Amino acid sequence: MIELEDVAVTYRSQRVLSGIDLAIEAGERVALIGPNGAGKSTLLRAVTGLVAPSEGSVRIAGAPLRTIDRASLARRLAVVPQQVVVPFSIRVEELVGLGRLPHEDPLRGARPADRAAVHDAIERVGIGHLLGRDVRELSLGERQLTLVALAVAQAATVLILDEPTVHLDLRHQIATMELLVDLNERDGTTVVAVLHDLGLAGAFFPRLVLMDAGRIVADGTPAEVLTDSRIRAVFGVDPAMVRLPVATA
Amino acid sequence: MTNRAVTTEHTLAPTRPSVVRVGRPRSRPVLLGWVGVVALVVLLSLGVAVGSVAIAPLDTLAIIVERLLGVDLGLAWSPATETIVWELRVPRVLTSMVVGTALAVAGATFQGLLRNPLADPYVLGTASGAALGAAIAVLLPIRFVVLGFSLLHALAFVGALASIYTVYRLSRIGGLAPLTSLLLVGYAVGSLLAAGLAMAMYLSGAALRQIFSYLLGGFDTASWSQLAGTFPLVAVGTGLILLRARSLNGLLLGEEAATHLGLDVRRERAILLALASLVTAAAVAVSGLIGFVGLVVPHVVRLVVGPSARLVLPLSALAGAALLAFADIVARAAGEIPVGIVTALIGAPFFIVLLRRARTGYEL
Amino acid sequence: MFRRPHALTESGPNSPGQRLALFLVAAIMVVAACAGGSGASPSPSTIASVAPAASVEATPLPTAAPSAAAFPVTLTDDEGTTVEIEAEPEVIVSLTPATTETLFALGVGDRVVGKGQDFFLYPPEAVDIPDVATFDAVDIEQVVSLEPDLVFAGGNFFTPPDAITRMRELGLPVVVLYAASVEAVFADIELIGQASGRSAEATAIVERMRTEFDAVEAAVAGLATPRLFYELDATGAIYGPADDSFLAEMIELAGGDPITTGSADKFDISVERLIEEDPELILLADAPFGVTPEQVAARPGWNVMTAVQEGEIRPIDDQTVTRPGPRLFLGLRLLAETIHPGVALPAAAPIPPVR
Repeated sequence: MIELEDVAVTYRSQRVLSGIDLAIEAGERVALIGPNGAGKSTLLRAVTGLVAPSEGSVRIAGAPLRTIDRASLARRLAVVPQQVVVPFSIRVEELVGLGRLPHEDPLRGARPADRAAVHDAIERVGIGHLLGRDVRELSLGERQLTLVALAVAQAATVLILDEPTVHLDLRHQIATMELLVDLNERDGTTVVAVLHDLGLAGAFFPRLVLMDAGRIVADGTPAEVLTDSRIRAVFGVDPAMVRLPVATA
Repeated sequence: MTNRAVTTEHTLAPTRPSVVRVGRPRSRPVLLGWVGVVALVVLLSLGVAVGSVAIAPLDTLAIIVERLLGVDLGLAWSPATETIVWELRVPRVLTSMVVGTALAVAGATFQGLLRNPLADPYVLGTASGAALGAAIAVLLPIRFVVLGFSLLHALAFVGALASIYTVYRLSRIGGLAPLTSLLLVGYAVGSLLAAGLAMAMYLSGAALRQIFSYLLGGFDTASWSQLAGTFPLVAVGTGLILLRARSLNGLLLGEEAATHLGLDVRRERAILLALASLVTAAAVAVSGLIGFVGLVVPHVVRLVVGPSARLVLPLSALAGAALLAFADIVARAAGEIPVGIVTALIGAPFFIVLLRRARTGYEL
Repeated sequence: MFRRPHALTESGPNSPGQRLALFLVAAIMVVAACAGGSGASPSPSTIASVAPAASVEATPLPTAAPSAAAFPVTLTDDEGTTVEIEAEPEVIVSLTPATTETLFALGVGDRVVGKGQDFFLYPPEAVDIPDVATFDAVDIEQVVSLEPDLVFAGGNFFTPPDAITRMRELGLPVVVLYAASVEAVFADIELIGQASGRSAEATAIVERMRTEFDAVEAAVAGLATPRLFYELDATGAIYGPADDSFLAEMIELAGGDPITTGSADKFDISVERLIEEDPELILLADAPFGVTPEQVAARPGWNVMTAVQEGEIRPIDDQTVTRPGPRLFLGLRLLAETIHPGVALPAAAPIPPVR
């Protein structure tokens, strides 16, 4: 589904990614982990076409990324924005409805099929009780779920999230994770998420990709990736300080 | 780990039943649209009926019927009456509507594009550019009139477009985020042009009156020929903006998210900026600077129908036309006071009341 | 767009917004048709065609010198615009007070049906004429409704230029007048006479005015010419005559040495410049608005001026001084008498008759 081959990204003559080889198959659930500045977000930006690699190639479903136009890409990859500030008052269903933009007829706007997709996405994410509410009145957790619903309405095969649990309390962190697992397992959506919380990553993702200093340093199951020596080397902390549900599982 | 994947409903809404708040009826925008159209017709009639010279409504009607349909209703009127109705009042009301549409649509576009509720058609220096152009035209010893357009109109139009083009080009230099950069550069260029305008006004001597009257805005010299020049620009510009409502909707989420929704944000931004500027320039060239319409009308519309550009743009076009036509009628009835004063006097309190009593579920 | 769950099943051909957009386009096309139709028809001729075709018998000339001006007449106004007047004007709109006054002096005051607003109306008969222009704007609708066959407007932005353009577009013959010098005032009076079919009367008035000007000039010849500041206004900045202005010329003719602003088109003068120029006499044209010599003397910095130290600050009601019409010689006499109290002026000729 997503293939990166020897990808390097240079930003202001500084190399922020180098030698990235990564293949994510359809239906996988992958978490990108690593310390701040490791290049996780840049990797996502390379995959979603926001930055062009200076070397190597990115392919989506076999086609080179640069040959795919924005609208078709949006129908394949849905990106959940980190936090969105909408300058005007907007209702939950209207925000979710924006996920239909890549499918809408540019002139005629939303059609019944689009409305149905929005309805389904709202049901799917379980935010029916938020209908009619102004997005700006929602709690951060509710807002996060609304944004996921937006991405679900986009009806893409790949869901990409950049730190979806940041700012969230524990209950909403878990809820978001469970939603991602559910979307992946029930609908077969490929999920790629950048996560800071190693505990959440280890608990909810079967495949972890550990990055450090612009490179992938480990790729495998939580047990393979989250070893004591790596945590010490990459994060510079005592592994005993990190509660890893996987390690104890 | 999969055994932890409880169904989301349980975790998210453990006690609350899935109560669906009844949203607005979907017919509301359509209804509002028809209200707007009827309002325009009423205002057109009112605008043609009202003036400093009293003309019998029947004569007014007969003149319009004869002019539009070529049907002679058998009434007699003086040539002066016909001139007043057909050459002065009708083009004046229509011009005020066209300018109102232009300002409201441009305002809605700039607000959406810049993601800034305080944006108006003049935010990126258009006003100062047009005003400086007009002031220079007044100071230049060149006088010509082609199809009702003088050097003042031409330079105001060029000034507005030149200023926004300058802002756009300058904003792309340097490392700021595009929107912040646009707003800051717009502010800087606007200030520079305002200084130029102040200088021009200082040097203008007796011509100050004309510059000042341009700054206050108005329709007292509207004509068919001016309308024929302005209308196509506003109509085409507005139409093309309406066709890009989708892009403005995407930009509600921000530029990056809009990119992820499949929009070529840079391109859309450039196109929408160009269209909104064109429409603004066409409006300010004929009417001078009329404030408030472009800022408030889109907000009022959003308070009622929500932020979707597919509704906001066409309804703003109607509401802007109605507001400005009404304001101009009031301005005329009050003895030709500058229409910008009236738009503020009508618009501001109305807006405040609406904000305070907004039970529509939207706030700013 | 989505509203509530059951709404999702509704099927509609278009979104409401789209239908609105279509309607708007349709409305736009209708309006476009109207605009285009008008542009094609030569409507501005409607007004011009109502001008009286032959009105020779309607113009009795009671004065000795019959003008018998041959209409149509083509003249060039003060802005260089060529204006053709088809027949002797019977219905005149005068947008400047000086022109109104001149028309009355020429004996055609009764033909003036609309005038520009004015604070100092002259002659008294003009009071009843309706105002069709304020100081800021012309009520074009009113002007059109009066169906004038001649409109006089003020140049140099006195009448808004776009209003002049608009009236001409509507087929009204507009003569724009602006006098920047005493000679130009004379020329304007002649021009007004020519346009209104009263050339002979205009020439007579100008000759009478020239005689009066010569008389004042002769009376002040040889008298000392005090450095004089003529204060127009001091509510904000200090305003006085600009270089080579009409007012400066009048002061010179009245035997004064005008202190000007140092610029041809700016009327404000700095106190510094004023102190440096050191006026020996200050005339307060703003006295009718309540400015007193005492107030002037009390202004900070002004006490160093010779005029202030010697108490040479005199009020003047300058209505006739600044109005470029037939009473201008009265203004000159007033100026001369104020600058040189007790100067022996020959008896004034009677004010041009008003009918």
